[in-house]
Amino acid sequence: MPEGATRSVVPLLPVLLPWISLVAILLMPKKAPRVRLWLCFAGSALTFLVVILMLPGVLDGKTYYFKLASIVEGLEISLYVDTLGYYFALVLAFMWMLATLYSISYIDHKHNRFFAFLALCCSFLIGCAFSRNMFTYFIFYEMMTFGSYPLIIHEETTMARRAGYKYLVYAIAAGTVLFFAIIANYFWGGGVLDFERWGLLSLETASRAALLTIFFTYIAGFGVKAAIMPLHGWVPDAHPAAPSPASALLSGVILKAGAFGIMRVIFNLFGVDLMKELGVHWIVAVFACITIVMASVFALTQDNLKRRLAYSSIGQVSYIILGLTMVSRDGALGGVMHLAHHALMKACLFLCAGVILVKTGKKNISEMRGIGYRLPVTMICFSVCALAMMGTPPSVGFISKWLLGSGSMQAGLPVYVVILLVSSLLNAAYFLPIIYTAFFRWEGDEEGAHHPKLDFSTENDQLMMGPVVLLALLVVVVGIWVTVPGFPYSLASRVVDFIFP
Amino acid sequence: MSGGIRHLPILMITLPMVGAALMPFISYVRRGAVPWASALFLAASSALGLALIGKIPPDGSVGYRLGGWEPPFGIELMVDFTGYFLMMVVCGISLLSLVYSRPYIMREVEGGKITAYYVLFLLLSASMMGFVVTGDIFNLFVFMEILSISSYALVAVTGNRNAVRAAFKYLLMGAPSSIMVLLGIGLLYSVTGTLNMADLAMRIGESGYREVLIAAYAVLVLAFMVKAAIFPLHLWLPDAHSIAPSPMSAMLSGLVVAVSAFAIGRITFSVFTTRPWGLVSSTLEALAAAGAAAVLFGGIMAIYQRDFKMMIAYSTVSHMGYIVLGLTALNPEGLTGAVYHVLDHGVAKACLFLCAGNFIYRKGIRRIDQLKGAWQEMPWTCFAFALAAWSVIGLPPSAGFISKWYLVYGNVKADRVPYAVVLLLGSILAAVYCFRVIYYMFFQPGEEGAWGDKVADAPSGMLAPTWILSLATLFFGVFSYLFIDSLLKAAASLL
Repeated sequence: MPEGATRSVVPLLPVLLPWISLVAILLMPKKAPRVRLWLCFAGSALTFLVVILMLPGVLDGKTYYFKLASIVEGLEISLYVDTLGYYFALVLAFMWMLATLYSISYIDHKHNRFFAFLALCCSFLIGCAFSRNMFTYFIFYEMMTFGSYPLIIHEETTMARRAGYKYLVYAIAAGTVLFFAIIANYFWGGGVLDFERWGLLSLETASRAALLTIFFTYIAGFGVKAAIMPLHGWVPDAHPAAPSPASALLSGVILKAGAFGIMRVIFNLFGVDLMKELGVHWIVAVFACITIVMASVFALTQDNLKRRLAYSSIGQVSYIILGLTMVSRDGALGGVMHLAHHALMKACLFLCAGVILVKTGKKNISEMRGIGYRLPVTMICFSVCALAMMGTPPSVGFISKWLLGSGSMQAGLPVYVVILLVSSLLNAAYFLPIIYTAFFRWEGDEEGAHHPKLDFSTENDQLMMGPVVLLALLVVVVGIWVTVPGFPYSLASRVVDFIFP
Repeated sequence: MSGGIRHLPILMITLPMVGAALMPFISYVRRGAVPWASALFLAASSALGLALIGKIPPDGSVGYRLGGWEPPFGIELMVDFTGYFLMMVVCGISLLSLVYSRPYIMREVEGGKITAYYVLFLLLSASMMGFVVTGDIFNLFVFMEILSISSYALVAVTGNRNAVRAAFKYLLMGAPSSIMVLLGIGLLYSVTGTLNMADLAMRIGESGYREVLIAAYAVLVLAFMVKAAIFPLHLWLPDAHSIAPSPMSAMLSGLVVAVSAFAIGRITFSVFTTRPWGLVSSTLEALAAAGAAAVLFGGIMAIYQRDFKMMIAYSTVSHMGYIVLGLTALNPEGLTGAVYHVLDHGVAKACLFLCAGNFIYRKGIRRIDQLKGAWQEMPWTCFAFALAAWSVIGLPPSAGFISKWYLVYGNVKADRVPYAVVLLLGSILAAVYCFRVIYYMFFQPGEEGAWGDKVADAPSGMLAPTWILSLATLFFGVFSYLFIDSLLKAAASLL
């Protein structure tokens, strides 16, 4: 049992609650499809509620612990809520609730399969967030990986199948590498894989070569999910193929499960000091920088909106990785906070893309001339998030970039600031044309035709518009009232205080 | 262990044997009662096994003298925890396959041979149970012969041309290997003058006939490699396992080869305990290399199969390599992984073959590409397949994950990282061939009219064993902590 933890079933509840949705799908009569869907939403809302209720305790510095099974001494499957894990759980439970709500209206066939796997993935991801050790994390992580396959291929088009195939290939290879990393860690880490310390391995117990092997196999294993180049291949295919709420979750949460794994590796298993001593942080940072720049360059060339957003996600997740590997207080803070910030922005962007697809059937940016007049609310929300992605204040994107920039100065590496600025510029270069096409171009504009009238009548679907508007509002609100308890800063700063006291 | 309870292991073995002897009479009175009566005997055997829970100490063994004759003259059973564990695995999987057989065999085997099928089936299970706990090396040979001969016969039981040919191929490789076992035992006897394993272990340490003993060891290992179908001596397996009736394939693939692979461990850990000479360890190294080759070769061949059962059979070739790699790591973790792999491979593989049996029973489907859209028609079978395949790949939280964990860990600990990597590659290959089938079943629409009229799923008498096995893969994964600790202790005491 971890030191100072309270033994409690609380961590188990959010893992089990999504299963309500599953039971609802299996047991509710086929004649009442809407009731079933609403029960699915209730399951995810309840999960979020339970996670919220844990907030005061976590902010008080409490940790909860629940043992599911212990295979042998040191190798147990158990749940443990610390600040970092709670932070991830909070983000993902919130995203999941909104995505479920959105899906009720968005998904038009094979509801049962989609909602069942949506709920399963939610449960497994919360299991990831609340894992006490890498063994438990891996178990939930692998189940989540394969549980998200049906979400990606939901449309069952040729493109979706091909994307799903690619996803599986990457996932299986990554899982195997990760398995090896964990075994090696278990062997050289003295038969423990626990997360409750800030640095489990040390040069006293393992050789430098062993530690390097463990570190890089971990990074390679999680790097596939976190889409660090050159391991990002599945991301740009999977996002456009998946239904929009699923892409929102892929970008918003599932990619982050990889980044979160890297956080656990860097903060808890290796510890920042050991990473610095081994001198490996800059190697990962270089890969992250390359990813940040290259992904933005690739994004520029994409005409498919969701594909462009997918490349944008690849770059943004590497912000997190860069923040972690700066080895400075603000850098780590920025990296951890960007996990939530990017989830808010990118989920909103993908949900907007979903609205566009449903209401107009358009996928490509070049076809979206004047769409801002047909879907004004959606496109305003889209613009808010796109501006936030560029780092415009006041927004969450600005906060992330500010902290990351200040972190690079603290670490004495102003070159990262340059990378961040270049990336912001490129972000602007691929987001602004979308906004421009939507609001400042319209049919017949070159012949001098007046712009069309704003038309609010098409956006009549509250289930889809609600999450979009809420997320766009949060992007601004969280960016202004940064320090409100429960917002990312309150939790992330606690985590960072432990690492850089 | 004292009182009546010490007789339980031998009763577990003799009950099915007595049953086998009685079956012709029962058949004479009433043929329809044969399946039920056989199931009853195996169920009784399992019940006796359950009564032994907690009675066998994890570190140590319980000796039992047959007929009260003192070893080394009499035959002795050495029931240690590992042996007991394997005996229960054999019992459980046999019982489920036997229950499954009733509807299936009625269709595949002509009336007169049904009794023969059940007689052979009971003999096969009894001999496997004896095989894993015997403490006498000649007795090991006897059980092995019963096991082999009933297997040959059961492969050919349907009587069609291909089956007879496969059985003959099996016999052609199996019979010489039996003779080699006899040769190895003869060599051992000639220099030590005993057949009792514990006695042998002691005298081998003192014996001066180094070359003879080494030859004996190499011959025994080679012989059991044939029985366990370890690459490159696996040639008989794919044909025999894919052509046998499905419940029989489940027995052959799930148990027979795994138990034979375990015999290598028996010889190494219980007879050649001191492992004093270089050649023993180099034999083991060669064996490990063969195992690694088996993992990769079996996996790759499985990917290229079009026949569903052929694919599962090649997967078995691959998984025998896992077991060998665990045994030859020579540390408690590796051995635990190997023993646990006998369990989870047995359960999962049996389940896969029973699923294949369901498709054959309902639609005569044997090819993988015919399984497109199967989910719509036979959902229960497909789900059972997916669960068992999960374990074959070794994904958490199934039992396959736990055994893979210990196999890889054991190999890393033994400083054999390349073999650990081979194990991981093996599971990637397993993922490829399993996901291909899952993809066809669940995510491909069935071709118009391919399934003909609406097909019902398999009858519940066949679905129930399939589902018990597929849920067992999950159970033994999630509740592995009930067994792993004792197995680790048992393995440590064996080494």
